[in-house]
Amino acid sequence: MEMSYPSTPRWNIERPFLTGRFHQETKAASRFADSFSNNGAEMAIGCYDAGVQELLVIDDLLSALVGIEGRYISIKRRVNHVHGNDTYDSTVTFQVDASMDLALQEMAKRIFPLCESFVLTGQFVESRSQFKNGLVNHAFAASLRALLLDYEAMVAQLEHQFRLGRLSIQGLWFYCQPMLGSMQAVSAVIHKASANNFTGSAVLNLLQSQAKAMAGDNTVRSLLEKMTQCASNAYLGILERWVYEGVIDDPYGEFFIAEDKSLLKESLTQDYDAKYWRQRYSLKDGIPSFLANIAGKILTTGKYLNVMRECGHSAQVPTSENSKLLSFGSNHHYLECVKVAYEFASGELLNLIKERYDLMGKLRSIKRYLLLDQGDFLVHFMDIAREELMKQLDEITVEKLQSLLDIALRSTAAAADPCHEDLTCSVERSSLLKRMATLKGVEIKTSSDSVDLEQPVSITGLETFSLSYKVQWPLSIVISRKALTKYQMVFRLLFHCKHVERQLCGAWQVHQGARAFNASGTAISRSSLLCRSMLKFINSLLHYLTFEVLEPNWHVMHNRLQTAKSIDEVIQHHDFFLDKCLRECLLHLPDLLKKVERLKSLCLQYAAATQWLISSSTDLPKLEEPSDGFSGSEKFKQLKLRSLSQVQKVMIRDATVTESILKFEREFNNELQSLGPILSSSSQAEPYLTHLAQLVLGVGFDK
Amino acid sequence: MPREIITLQVGQCGNQIGMEFWKQLCLEHGISKEGILEDFATQGGDRKDVFFYQADDQHYIPRALLIDLEPRVINGIQNSEYRNLYNHENIFVSDHGGGAGNNWASGYHQGKGVEEDIMDMIDREADGSDSLEGFVLCHSIAGGTGSGMGSYLLETLNDRYSKKLVQTYSVFPNQMETSDVVVQPYNSLLTLKRLTLNADCVVVLDNTALNRIAVERLHLQNPTFAQTNSLVSTVMSASTTTLRYPGYMNNDLVGLLASLIPTPRCHFLMTGYTPLTVERQANVIRKTTVLDVMRRLLQTKNIMVSSYARTKEASQAKYISILNIIQGEVDPTQVHESLQRIRERKLVNFIEWGPASIQVALSRKSPYVQTAHRVSGLMLASHTSIRHLFSKCLSQYEKLRKKQAFLDNYRKFPMFADNDLSEFDESRDIIESLVDEYKACESPDYIKWGMEDPDHILTGEGNATGSVDPNLAV
Repeated sequence: MEMSYPSTPRWNIERPFLTGRFHQETKAASRFADSFSNNGAEMAIGCYDAGVQELLVIDDLLSALVGIEGRYISIKRRVNHVHGNDTYDSTVTFQVDASMDLALQEMAKRIFPLCESFVLTGQFVESRSQFKNGLVNHAFAASLRALLLDYEAMVAQLEHQFRLGRLSIQGLWFYCQPMLGSMQAVSAVIHKASANNFTGSAVLNLLQSQAKAMAGDNTVRSLLEKMTQCASNAYLGILERWVYEGVIDDPYGEFFIAEDKSLLKESLTQDYDAKYWRQRYSLKDGIPSFLANIAGKILTTGKYLNVMRECGHSAQVPTSENSKLLSFGSNHHYLECVKVAYEFASGELLNLIKERYDLMGKLRSIKRYLLLDQGDFLVHFMDIAREELMKQLDEITVEKLQSLLDIALRSTAAAADPCHEDLTCSVERSSLLKRMATLKGVEIKTSSDSVDLEQPVSITGLETFSLSYKVQWPLSIVISRKALTKYQMVFRLLFHCKHVERQLCGAWQVHQGARAFNASGTAISRSSLLCRSMLKFINSLLHYLTFEVLEPNWHVMHNRLQTAKSIDEVIQHHDFFLDKCLRECLLHLPDLLKKVERLKSLCLQYAAATQWLISSSTDLPKLEEPSDGFSGSEKFKQLKLRSLSQVQKVMIRDATVTESILKFEREFNNELQSLGPILSSSSQAEPYLTHLAQLVLGVGFDK
Repeated sequence: MPREIITLQVGQCGNQIGMEFWKQLCLEHGISKEGILEDFATQGGDRKDVFFYQADDQHYIPRALLIDLEPRVINGIQNSEYRNLYNHENIFVSDHGGGAGNNWASGYHQGKGVEEDIMDMIDREADGSDSLEGFVLCHSIAGGTGSGMGSYLLETLNDRYSKKLVQTYSVFPNQMETSDVVVQPYNSLLTLKRLTLNADCVVVLDNTALNRIAVERLHLQNPTFAQTNSLVSTVMSASTTTLRYPGYMNNDLVGLLASLIPTPRCHFLMTGYTPLTVERQANVIRKTTVLDVMRRLLQTKNIMVSSYARTKEASQAKYISILNIIQGEVDPTQVHESLQRIRERKLVNFIEWGPASIQVALSRKSPYVQTAHRVSGLMLASHTSIRHLFSKCLSQYEKLRKKQAFLDNYRKFPMFADNDLSEFDESRDIIESLVDEYKACESPDYIKWGMEDPDHILTGEGNATGSVDPNLAV
């Protein structure tokens, strides 16, 4: 990952005197060789008696403890270039003059690991202090430096004792004991850290696991815990800004939350597949293990704060002395702090969206228009937009529809709703069935014989008209394009059903016009009963869709939203509502939907034919002005002069009229009957379909 | 302002129930007695414009015509606190003010005489609306003005506004007590003919049943007109709630009626309402759930049409269609359950020749009217037992006619001049065929009723297509 951090000044690397590395390097280069050649006069240590040898060794060891060669103790270094250009990754070994008294040699070798640890730690501290290694490493290095200072103080004290002549080699060994354990534990950590080039959370995890592993050794454990604490303080600083302010202040790329700036909030209102909410902020790999359980909560906390910031509200969790994310370990204060911050952010955002941006009002308004909760505007709209909607798709002007819609909204109960101006209309290109099939992320149950989704040849605005709703940020988090699209699918279904219902009502009214005529036993009475069956079907369907699906589900969702604790919960309930509605509105069942479409189209054909059928059967010239389509005026002329009783006979004999009514009746009843098996087989998997079956077919009741 | 409805209140009774209706509407919409929107009436979402329009000074005016041939009731309205509500141009009282003398023929004839004046008023109202949906006529069928003039108006409306719906709220006379209007059977019969032929829907308000309900259900000893009228206004306002408080369905009159009325002539509806209260009456508050309401609506004692059927006939009576308009705080999940329960208990006897079930419309309640009940319900139903009411009218007519009683009053008017009583006979035939049609509806073979099938067009098809499997009928 590209991180912008300052580079370590070159002088810091090139001038070893500043870093303490000169001890080894200068010696390795010249001094060691010199010392042996120039001081050739110096005798091998074996020439001295044991007492003198001890003093000489202690003197040398005190140097070696701070990484400096002595006269009889030399340093061998091996540079590993395994990890590329990291020149500091080298190991040192200490060697002792072989002529030394064996007992002293043995004592010296026991102390060497401490010396090696010191050198290693020193190198680690230097290398990790560079900018590129990140805050956690800096903090870890700093705490190691503090340890090294203690260590150096110990060596200085030992040297003082030595100068006073009070230090024997056994004494030296004794005093080194406590430090030895700590330094070895530390160097074990350092080994692992530098071998894997750990940064950030990996260092924290390593320290913690090491501390746990050393649980038996109290001193070492507490030392490692202290280091963990120091190192994680840096990390918690980043975390603090995120959970309290929603800011990612992470110059070295150590934090576990990433922001994808390419995902814009505007996409929510435009893109069906908008990933903004899920992916704008995401969890990366390398979550510190102590935060692993609450990582999700941490992510959402900052996410919520960011939403508030985007809304132009202060996104600051109120902080106090207590809320500093400092201490941790056995003390789980930080968990508490994150929880508090989460609750604040979540509550605040929810409040903002519900109160300030009136989510419920918006949803109610969408329900009113897209789910036809208050359908009076639609009645008026269909009255005035009828002509435009009857046109072929290419000939429809959406602008005209929009202005008609505005008129309808202004002149009905909708006028009182301030949200009605957010309503727009659109005309889609494909039929509802086809559109559902292409809808992503919606599971469609297709039968084995693949449903042919061929579009009817002549598709008019009535099939493809849809409403849309302008949703602004931040409500678009909940009512995203995807959610709106689902609302639209339901709307299109309802809209077309309403259209069919209206046409049948028109047909009904035509029958009403034939009242003066004694209809008993005529085609008219037959026809009016068919009209009744069709009306019953479409009304039952509408009843099912609205009172059995939409309203109860809405009711449930509405109650859930009242008690929702976070915006994510709101989204979840809302999505659940939509999916359930879509499913129960048959939109996931193309087979069934096709059947229903077929029944509706039969109703429409019949409604269109009624005018002719009825006027052919009656002799009431002024009965109905031919409203649209063809008129029955020819028939009128033929029948005009005959008396009422004659006409009745004519009518009964009028085989074509009766025949076509019976044909409609036959087809309609057959289709309706064939709905039964489909419904009952589907209702195994989808129990709510029994409601529909009961309403439309009346099954489930024994006479 | 789409789908407006113009109300015509004709005659004494028509104006009385009309006035109650407007009172109730004003209450529900938060409109003051002067037609001004009350300060508290800020909750939108209702449709005042279906029944009211706004004058230039924003005050609401009912789309109503107040018509009578004698001034008593209308003067009463004009002296009441509602006097400023109505448009004074819409009030018609005949010049002589002599009424119709409880004579249908007089009312009809006078109606003809003032047709132009009244039609002018109607046209003006119709022009003032965007897309007029239809007319509502309030009247009684027994007197002179409401029945006679109402009949004339029905014919004229049918003629002039053939595309508009005509719904009537028709008060049928109390047949349990002897009426002071002896010619009531004549008037009823002649009006029934027009209701059959010239109206799209007739909501039958049976005074006999209204009195019974007032006595039995509301425990009033001697119910006053005002009290029975308030029952009527409750029914009228409840049956228009889906128009005034739009919901998912039944947002226009045609949608409301089309689903209820099976054939052009069988358009007489019964109503039931629960829980019933009258003003200033402390009522026992019962638990009201959707199921309770629906169940109570099916009880005959709550139905505002009395049944004159004998037991055997009554058991054959069937519902053709039912619409329950449920108002108030309803848990929508209860609707399905309630319907299911009613179905299981077989509480409704439906026709067998076609699909039928209870339709439900959930509707909001006026936020400005406080009631003790959470849920209330209105049933609009087409029921075959209504034929007994017509049969009763027929038999009373026959009795009178056989005696040739009181016919002179009718012969004075052109329609019956020269002893031409064919109008009576024709009316009788039409009512009889109406009774027959309702009777036929009780049979499972109604669909083939009257089909003599001279050319055997239907042979072999009746079973395959004509009759729907009776098991399918709910």
